[in-house]
Amino acid sequence: MSPWSRLRIEPRDRALPPLFSLGLGVGLALLLGAAIFAGLGVNPLSAYAAMAAGAFGSGHALSEILVKATPLLLTGLAVALAARMLLWNVGCEGQLVMGGVFAAGCALFLLPPGAPPLPAASAALLCGALGGAAWALVPALLRAWGQVSEILTTLLLNYVAVILVEHLYYGPWRDPAGFGFPGTAELPAAAHLARLWPEALGRVHAGLPLALLLAPLLAFLLARTRWGFSVRVIGLSPGAARYARLNVPARTLAVLCCSGALAGLAGAGEVLGIHHRLQEGLAVGLGYDGIIVAWLARGNPLAAPLTALALGALFVGADQLQTNLGLPASIGQTLEAALLLGYLAGEFLARHRVAFGRAHVG
Amino acid sequence: MAANTNTIARGEPLLSCRGVCKRFGAVAANRDVDLDVWPGRVHALLGENGAGKSTLMSILAGRYRPDGGVIRVRGAPVAFASPAQARTAGIGMVHQRFMLIESMSVAENVRLAAPGARDADIAALGERYGLSVDPARLVADLSMGERQRVEIVKLLMRGADILIFDEPTSILAPAEVEALFSVLRRLKAEGRAIVLITHKLDEVLALADDISILRRGRVVAGCLTLDQAPGRRELARLMVGREVLLSVEKPPRDCGAEDETVLAAQGLSGLDASGRPAFADVDLAVRRGEIVAVIGVAGNGQDALARCLAGLGGGTAGSVAFAGHEGGRAMPAARWRGARGLSYVPEDRHGAGSVAAMSLAENALLTGQADERGGPLLDLARGAAIVERAVRDYRLKAESPQAPAGSLSGGNLQKLILARELAAEPALLLAEQPTQGLDLAAAEDVWQALLDLRSRAAVLLFTGDLKEALSLADRLAVIFRGRILDVIAADDPTAIERVGLLMAGVAAPATADGGRNGTGACA
Amino acid sequence: MWADLVFLGQIAVKSSVAVALAALGELVAERSGVLNLGVEGMMLMGALAGFAAALTTGDPWLGLGAAALVGAALAGLHAFFAVALRANQVLAGLALTILGAGLSSFLGRSLAGQSGPRFRPLHLPWLSDIPVAGEIFFTQSAPAYLLYGLAPLLWYWLFRTGSGLRVRACGQGAASADAAGVNVARTRALCTVLGGALAGLGGAYLSLSYTPGWATGMTGGQGWIAVAMVVFAAWRPLGAVAGAMLFGLFQALQFWFQATGQELVPAWLLRMLPYLLTIAVLAVVQGSPSLRRRAGAPADLGRPFAREG
Repeated sequence: MSPWSRLRIEPRDRALPPLFSLGLGVGLALLLGAAIFAGLGVNPLSAYAAMAAGAFGSGHALSEILVKATPLLLTGLAVALAARMLLWNVGCEGQLVMGGVFAAGCALFLLPPGAPPLPAASAALLCGALGGAAWALVPALLRAWGQVSEILTTLLLNYVAVILVEHLYYGPWRDPAGFGFPGTAELPAAAHLARLWPEALGRVHAGLPLALLLAPLLAFLLARTRWGFSVRVIGLSPGAARYARLNVPARTLAVLCCSGALAGLAGAGEVLGIHHRLQEGLAVGLGYDGIIVAWLARGNPLAAPLTALALGALFVGADQLQTNLGLPASIGQTLEAALLLGYLAGEFLARHRVAFGRAHVG
Repeated sequence: MAANTNTIARGEPLLSCRGVCKRFGAVAANRDVDLDVWPGRVHALLGENGAGKSTLMSILAGRYRPDGGVIRVRGAPVAFASPAQARTAGIGMVHQRFMLIESMSVAENVRLAAPGARDADIAALGERYGLSVDPARLVADLSMGERQRVEIVKLLMRGADILIFDEPTSILAPAEVEALFSVLRRLKAEGRAIVLITHKLDEVLALADDISILRRGRVVAGCLTLDQAPGRRELARLMVGREVLLSVEKPPRDCGAEDETVLAAQGLSGLDASGRPAFADVDLAVRRGEIVAVIGVAGNGQDALARCLAGLGGGTAGSVAFAGHEGGRAMPAARWRGARGLSYVPEDRHGAGSVAAMSLAENALLTGQADERGGPLLDLARGAAIVERAVRDYRLKAESPQAPAGSLSGGNLQKLILARELAAEPALLLAEQPTQGLDLAAAEDVWQALLDLRSRAAVLLFTGDLKEALSLADRLAVIFRGRILDVIAADDPTAIERVGLLMAGVAAPATADGGRNGTGACA
Repeated sequence: MWADLVFLGQIAVKSSVAVALAALGELVAERSGVLNLGVEGMMLMGALAGFAAALTTGDPWLGLGAAALVGAALAGLHAFFAVALRANQVLAGLALTILGAGLSSFLGRSLAGQSGPRFRPLHLPWLSDIPVAGEIFFTQSAPAYLLYGLAPLLWYWLFRTGSGLRVRACGQGAASADAAGVNVARTRALCTVLGGALAGLGGAYLSLSYTPGWATGMTGGQGWIAVAMVVFAAWRPLGAVAGAMLFGLFQALQFWFQATGQELVPAWLLRMLPYLLTIAVLAVVQGSPSLRRRAGAPADLGRPFAREG
């Protein structure tokens, strides 16, 4: 008898707590990372030590974690909201880019000169959210009334958004006084998102409190309003949604556009709060990272800030690897994928027991 | 013939079980089951829902492993580790839910089970047994009867000689039943062993050579031969264990109130969920203070009719008028989307009537979300109040309003759904198979709730259970192949017989009072 | 006029091979009921592995083999999650894409910008001399000819053989296939792995023939377009190749406009065209109820299978 035929997998009566699968995910990701470091000829322990030191070793690093976590939280919320209705918004990357484009466009061309900072920045942020929502509109319409899979349509639009933004800052929106540097002119200062406390928190800007406010707001919306209730019913049981005569197409449209708006806010925050102009470096995968933020938080908006922070720390640490050990920062992306796969394995093990030996006869 | 035919030599049984046991957790599905099946004989296995018939057959088909006991095929002990091994041993099963792939052709389905079967072989085999189906047709386009033939062809192509049929007639029209029986007789004449699982006594008496009765996992009567079999009544008693009579009291109809029609459908035609015509020319009226039962064998279009009347779409022609909605004026069926005052208890309690992952309080708010009254917030206090009322009034057993609906048993879930729908103070309650699969105690609570509602509202009951319909309803509308054949007053002394015949599609002899649209007597 | 058409056709075919190979792979996996959204990641890893192996050995054929192996290995990972662990297939596929993108990006650092062996256009006797059609289809590199052979072969396998029937049964009705004695888990795992090998080949075509060399993210979404083309093709191999050629034509139009210096449509719009037209194609094919019904998507696509009891 082969050992495999003795392997038994049985469902558990009661699933292990969610922290188990999360822990297993982190563990597996660390193991895979160690294997990769070892393969690159670097002592895994010193690599992890370097990452930890890079992420937590200085006030500057800690503030950078917050800077990274801001867009991650917003795209995470975007994915989580859509996932509540079993919709996959894998187009956050494009929506984020378009949020940046709309915010920059508003700041550059719509704001009257001399506009006071608060309304100016708010208007630019709002435009960013609109841009993200607009980018989600076509997939939402196709999904709501045509039953066209939103996975492929949202994703393909990411590539279109990147081409569009490149065209803008290489072409019509390029700063004429920029010595040929691809990018728009610096946005008017009134549209910049205020830095919260530059001495201590560095580049952390007003987008962070906004995102932190949106997380509980979204949780409340889903748990306590009739609209959120209907969204949850549709996601949990299409049959019950039909029976309760819920307007599924209308909800699909609203949820995907709101999801796009959240991702758009993330892009607007990056442009208005960090870059201060439209330039290279906006489409760096923050939209895809939102998928991981959302799933590690199990779709719970209240848990998303924590997973966003964790992922932010991972990226800041990975950046430090590049500076300190000369290792590529894209190892962060690899660890991210390992985290997700580890989480999936953990989910399985939380619900199943794996044992060797013969089935007992009762 | 001798009194005890068990001793008469019939040769070796083809299939024989001794002391087969199977437990699921704390529930014993099969206890010490003995069963012998001989070549050239039909062995009927009788029993109510949940008696353990399906478990036993799944064991024989290799889907479950028994916890104890011995199974022999042609005298040799076997222990099937997979359905494939059972098949190799010559056991073939026609499941109640067909194992056919709808998007593939008949020939492809047969070849999947019996590799190498050519179209000509399939056609020839069909010819020989009266199972002719065009091998090139898509299964999706076949009727239920034709699909069943494909299943049988699959087994024969594989050379199975122990054939197990799980409730084969439940989805067949009467004419198809006769055709199936003649196929079974031919197979039997060829020396194959047949197991027929059923709870219909007529079929047993028409076809079986041997009879075993299963009750609560045990064989309560084993291997009776037909001539040993006691009468129908006795068989039924053995099967159920006691005389079942509904223990609810139907008060006489109160005719003090004028006969206010609450719901009236005229010439209603419509489609089922997959877009096929399901019912046609339905005229139906329900008045306040009465229960009207739409009764029929499953698959005669009643699901689609209930869906359409409840306002979930599917109507193509005809009209629906509902008191309190646009002044009770009739509106085209295609535009009918229900109205306030109409509550619906759907057949699918788990998939439609509730959301397992949500709390009881949230489930109590499931319906009524589409209408725009009320603020933007979810009124969880109201949901909790409905749950508490259900605990008080309908004996709902639940930990708290915050417990997930998935933790409830079928009966308790049904009470929750009923409480929710009644909380809306409906003028009409449309209840679809409301006691299907419930234990007797829960069913009684549901019946009582429906009778209580009758005093102040109208009830339209969709059921396949004649006893339930006769005990609760004032009038019975019999549906057959999508048409209402007749409406019969429940207190008509010939009602039982006439409804029974009509359900089978046999037109009743005309009676003196005409019967159609019987009005139901008033006290 | 003819010359332009031939030029356009040649580029269209040349641009379609990677998508076609990957789409065929995804089609096999989806026919068995497994949705693998990791195509983009598998193609990237295939492109890198193919280029690296060809560079080391000097033989593009060995590169092709290495790419198939790497693609199959990554798909094996997906099969482990999708089939053995019955995980969410969308999520597992996305993780695979992220993994492939990340791994290929840092493993390929040192290879970026290097030039190595490549497949050159292969002139076939007689066939290449057929006017127009021959000039379009038979002036390609070896992987294209591999594709011409593979597509009808896969069609024959899926629709004319017993094992192909079992594969389709796993996708159309896993429970029925299981009842008929098909090992659903094994069939699905094997089909997923085979699909991954084809995606790897598709990636290697990019780095060994189409745009020789390695560049980070060089697939540019072709993996996703391959997934879309499976839908467009209604899960039929020859349709998938036709869909890929359509995509190739969009690409070719872009080159053609650039090459002929016509500024009718700006270049950036042309770059968007393949993605936008793919969305349009999806909208038409999936959005129309009658086409959707006729397409016959595998009924159990993306649904993990477990025998009850």
